[in-house]
Amino acid sequence: MNDRTLDMLLSRVEKPARYIGSEWNMERKEVYDFRFALCFPDVYEIGMSHLGSRILYRVLNDMDGVYCERCYAPWTDMEQALRELNEPLFTLETKSPLKDFDVVGFSLLYEMCCTNVLTMLDLSGIPFRSADRDESCPLIVAGGPCTVNPEPIAEIMDAILIGDGEELEPELVACVRQAKRDGVSRRELLLRLSAIDGVYVPSLYRPVFENGRYVRMERLCEQAPEHPVRRVVRDLDHARYIGRQLVPHMQIVHDRVAVEVMRGCTRGCRFCQAGYIYRPVRERRKETLLDQTRDLVRCTGYDEVSLLSLSTGDYSELHELLPRIIDDMAEQKVSVSLPSLRIDSILKDDLEKMQTVRKGGLTFAPEAGTQRMRDVINKNVTEEDLLRAVTDAFTAGWCGVKLYFMIGLPTETDEDILGIAELARKVSNAFYRLPKDKRGSGFRVTVSVSTFVPKPWTAFQWCAQDRQEEIVRKQQLLKTALKGVRGAELHCHPSVLSVLEAVFSRGDRRLNGVLIDAYRRGCRFDSWAEHFKPDAWAEAFSENGLTMDEYAHRERAADEPLPWEIVDALVTPAYLLREWNKAQEARTTKDCRQGCNGCFGEHCEDYCRV
Amino acid sequence: MKIIAAFEKTKELSYTSHLDVQRTLQRAFRRANLPLAFSRGFNPHPKLSFATALATGYTSEGEWLEVELDKEITPEDFIEQVNAALPKGMRFVRAFVADDGFPTLSKMLVAARYLVTLYTDPPVSAQELLNAVRAIMDSEEVIVEKKTKSGIRPANIRPEIREAEAISASDRTAVVAVVGTLNAAGGLRAETFARALFERLSVNGRFTAHRTALCFEGSDKLPRLR
Repeated sequence: MNDRTLDMLLSRVEKPARYIGSEWNMERKEVYDFRFALCFPDVYEIGMSHLGSRILYRVLNDMDGVYCERCYAPWTDMEQALRELNEPLFTLETKSPLKDFDVVGFSLLYEMCCTNVLTMLDLSGIPFRSADRDESCPLIVAGGPCTVNPEPIAEIMDAILIGDGEELEPELVACVRQAKRDGVSRRELLLRLSAIDGVYVPSLYRPVFENGRYVRMERLCEQAPEHPVRRVVRDLDHARYIGRQLVPHMQIVHDRVAVEVMRGCTRGCRFCQAGYIYRPVRERRKETLLDQTRDLVRCTGYDEVSLLSLSTGDYSELHELLPRIIDDMAEQKVSVSLPSLRIDSILKDDLEKMQTVRKGGLTFAPEAGTQRMRDVINKNVTEEDLLRAVTDAFTAGWCGVKLYFMIGLPTETDEDILGIAELARKVSNAFYRLPKDKRGSGFRVTVSVSTFVPKPWTAFQWCAQDRQEEIVRKQQLLKTALKGVRGAELHCHPSVLSVLEAVFSRGDRRLNGVLIDAYRRGCRFDSWAEHFKPDAWAEAFSENGLTMDEYAHRERAADEPLPWEIVDALVTPAYLLREWNKAQEARTTKDCRQGCNGCFGEHCEDYCRV
Repeated sequence: MKIIAAFEKTKELSYTSHLDVQRTLQRAFRRANLPLAFSRGFNPHPKLSFATALATGYTSEGEWLEVELDKEITPEDFIEQVNAALPKGMRFVRAFVADDGFPTLSKMLVAARYLVTLYTDPPVSAQELLNAVRAIMDSEEVIVEKKTKSGIRPANIRPEIREAEAISASDRTAVVAVVGTLNAAGGLRAETFARALFERLSVNGRFTAHRTALCFEGSDKLPRLR
């Protein structure tokens, strides 16, 4: 793309900095023979914040002769500008169209950005379905947490990568590169790819439906594995990390250095997909983390570091690591934050040491209002944990707290909803019980409520999602119950989007057609309230003879074949079923650091080293 | 110590906002190991201030700023070290050490020079461009719709135009050099001037603006108007 065309496009959009590239640490290469377009189907500010993409950008660009460039979903103003000028979507590094690449890879972090994948293909002149593409098209692949159920995008993608990408992606690139040298057909390439651990080539399998329901998967080719197994980086300490992290010009969502302290979580919250699909827990040594933090701060110039993981409070060397990292960084006026703390983490002393924790933003996630409900979801925190944590915070000067809850959880009754209000009342009382001179003013307890979405590869993968009317009724009930709680403020997430999310989470291959129809009816950026078009979605479903109800609101029988079980996610269905049964009896399961719960079945010896 | 310096902003980086530039500079200083001095108090701010902001989308040859550092450094080293830590598209071109009592840049700023390029459809001839520029300069009033905080309202921008000269017109591209008043209270915007030109030429199109210089009064070390 020439400078003049670029100027014309950029002068038409509200935030041109999203499309310019040229960030500090951006890769510039002169010599390469293989081009990879790392695509993120959401806007720059979100895509640039994604840790996984940052790692892959480094891993791929470290390969000799490979140039990995980035492309993000264009906001609607840029989409319009590209269409009006009849220009293709372009990468940030060299402003090249996606069609010029060998591989176009998408990171799928949530179901609701799938229409943006289609926008990006459409603006590149690439046909939506794998079956409609020939040798002249790049190989289109996807990875990321959503691919543990690859079926809703199986007709769009040529290959789907399941699990950790830092070892898998280079293997994929090497395979495609060799196939190009050998001059093999697309079909032969796909066969070769299917032999890589963690790669699913959907065109080698055909789902069978009977009476409107998925019944089994047929393998169309002997060479294809029966179940592609999720890839796991066994040794995180020696795994590649971000290295020279990109430093954006414009502000992004997570605008700081991200240090991944560990991957995986041992807690076993039954609703949490990440908790299941990132197992087993793998930690980096604290020395490695100190080195990486120093290195990242030095080469980025950031003044804020975030210690990332699903539950950083559980990092086994946290109390040795934190003081050292804080001291180390304080010298350079760099602040340290811990984004995911649990209420029961014993961190009071560490927190006090972190002068940089800003008062005002304190968030806890009890997730449910009663102990029974918390036992059902295996969120092993108690009311006492919460009240102690908030009382500590209030005494230390905080005068606002945000509490996260879900409604629509399995076995939920009105008592559990009222329990949320009761918990908020106790938090409020904990504040007002303090003597006036010992507490701040302007107290707020923000109750943030989202709608539960059952996810595949969790203990709740069989359960029915509450219908929208029921969710609205429960939200109303909570609203009424919160009246009279001093300082309480309720935020409810709209439930319509949760239904669609539930559909695509546990969807099957028939949803590919729905997705394409919805896109043609104008659906884009569905997770952005201002763009979400529920009517267009409803039309797309009926056009395809399907209902959202069947996917979202129907409980699956324990022996019903599940479309995502074509993948082997390591955690076994038998274990998940045990968890589902225990959930219904409100029985908890211990943290697996205290002893193995047998979640990996026969994979245990191969994969789990906890 | 206080350094006064000028940087260029070119190519894609012209599409970064003033806030983006502030962030980019702060991080570049850290990467260059040049610690910014911070104001004391409850909410410390880096002691970094600009003569003026540059509108998003404009390129520039000399954006002036003053910065206080917690470390002594020569102007030459400052330029070398910071440039090594700046992304392509931003580069310091001049720097000097400010003596105590050096007035702030924004107080000394009086004007700015621009090259305004109009991409016109249909093309305009050199004579038409000359006439349009002359028409503007000969008018007592040049009324342009101006976006203000209280909405869009007509404003006379003629008093803010100090000089204007037609440079070239060929291949649907017309270039005009303009000098406009610019100080802490405001001044001529290249965008409103371009719109006035489009109106006089009776054509439509888009424009780009390139700031060739900021002009100051009160110091020999800074570029002057004449």
